[in-house]
Amino acid sequence: MNRKWYSGMARTEDWWAVWLGLTMFLASVSSLWGLDLTGWMAKPNTWVWGEFSLEGVLKPSGKLGWHPTLSWLVTYLVFTTLTCVAAWAMKFDLKRFLAGWTVLFVMTWIIWIIGQEAHFKVSVNEFAKFGLSWGLSLGGGFSYLLALLIGLIIGNFFKGTAGFLSEAAKPEWFIKTAIVFLGIKIGVMSIEAAGFITELVMTGVAATFVAYMLFWPIVYALGRRVFRLSRDASAVLASGISICGVSAAIATAGAIRARPVIPVVVSILVVIFAMFELIILPGFYTAIAPNQPIVNGSALGLTVKTDGADAAAGAMLDELMRANAEANLGVRWKEGWILMASLTTKIWIDMFIGVWAFVLALVWVYKVERQPGQSKIGLMEIWHRFPKFVLGYLLVWFSYIAIASSGPEIAKTLHEAATPVEGSMRTMMFMLTFLSIGVITDFSKLRGMGKLALLYAIALFGIIAPIAYGVAWIFHRGMMPPTL
Amino acid sequence: MKADLEVRLVHDGINWIAYHQSFEAFGETLLELDQELTRCLLDRQLFPENSHVTVFMVFDYNCIPTWIRQYASHYFNRYIRLDLKSPISAAQ
Repeated sequence: MNRKWYSGMARTEDWWAVWLGLTMFLASVSSLWGLDLTGWMAKPNTWVWGEFSLEGVLKPSGKLGWHPTLSWLVTYLVFTTLTCVAAWAMKFDLKRFLAGWTVLFVMTWIIWIIGQEAHFKVSVNEFAKFGLSWGLSLGGGFSYLLALLIGLIIGNFFKGTAGFLSEAAKPEWFIKTAIVFLGIKIGVMSIEAAGFITELVMTGVAATFVAYMLFWPIVYALGRRVFRLSRDASAVLASGISICGVSAAIATAGAIRARPVIPVVVSILVVIFAMFELIILPGFYTAIAPNQPIVNGSALGLTVKTDGADAAAGAMLDELMRANAEANLGVRWKEGWILMASLTTKIWIDMFIGVWAFVLALVWVYKVERQPGQSKIGLMEIWHRFPKFVLGYLLVWFSYIAIASSGPEIAKTLHEAATPVEGSMRTMMFMLTFLSIGVITDFSKLRGMGKLALLYAIALFGIIAPIAYGVAWIFHRGMMPPTL
Repeated sequence: MKADLEVRLVHDGINWIAYHQSFEAFGETLLELDQELTRCLLDRQLFPENSHVTVFMVFDYNCIPTWIRQYASHYFNRYIRLDLKSPISAAQ
């Protein structure tokens, strides 16, 4: 129960994403005092079929003398300890969490290593280097696709296993942690290309305006007039589809005091449709507009609901578009900029959900229910609905800039220590997100939701996706990531 | 905002329920719940008749399935101002 402003700091995934993200950021900052607290992180290498060896496919990020197995074991122990402390604080079933986490962790690494096989990963320009005659050139996207596919197979065909893993399969927690790690990357990017990041952030405001002021009324009207839904159901569905998915559905339902069953049903729809968006849109955008990376990234941020699916789709788009550009356009874009376009848009949208819910609550009390004076809306509701992981992201972002700006030696040391955090650790959390988002997606839950599912599909693919693309085109056309 | 009374608010699928150590109030809608709550307060004489009471209803998030908590961890809290008029004085 959220009684006070600090309620939930030790018992919600949102806050624990902040604590885990800050822990790793502080570990990298400790390098300024000569410590190496991030170099143990394992990372996978590109390898070629027929030449598999543990030393060839795994290596530590910094501690060069370490055997890869030791590096991987330390990676497991550190992340297991941190997540188990969080799970204990959040009152999860600790035994189930530990067992589920261990299975997910091991599966994630196996899939990640498989995805690094050269035939799946490397671009055509590197075929000669790896002695290849053919390849799919999917970049890191293959690992993500494989993790998603295996997760979906478990979630839909091995439901007992999915149930066993569910205590640890927390895609939203994993991705929020990864986004806090990404605060380092946007800090690096801000130093590299301040103008680009400023433009990205400012256009995010416009995107937010579109999501709230354009999508929401259209979907609400569609629900009321065409599908004859109740006011409550239309409002909750409109928020879920047009703003930021589950969190918007819950915030809106709470604001208008809807029965809890309404946002729960809408949340099931959001999670399942987010999977369709994640599977379809990155490949589709890469195919239709291979030379508009930032437009595509921003369009994803406006269209794909839930942070997990959006970040996952952004990461997939980043990989697919860079691999495609290298193969077909002869240009090598820097990694992470397309993902950042997707995330920046989404984070802006997330940040204002509390304010939007507050406005809706006022409208409901004073205009719809007409009970002014009896029921009061507390300003604290805005804070309770604010996504706390954004605080971690912003804190890491601005702290990185502040520290790195204090001198070239300091910047170099910090960059080296922070690279495993925003690199391998962040990618590992993305991989865990892909796998667990598949595990918790059960398409059979769509049964019996005919009318709502139809409305969702029409609104998403017929209204939101095309308008979002148009808006992204207006604001971002021609913007290009830096090249290597 | 200062409240005179705090209750735990849940929804059991049919009714909104306000829990307090000295009573439980039920209502299919929040309006019905508020009326029932007023009656409970009057019955138990927790506050003087014909006074105004501000009640803080804290929603118990355990009513929401746990898998949703990673996406959002707050439903709503609500402050209501109840006018504790007894049925007799209200009729007059």
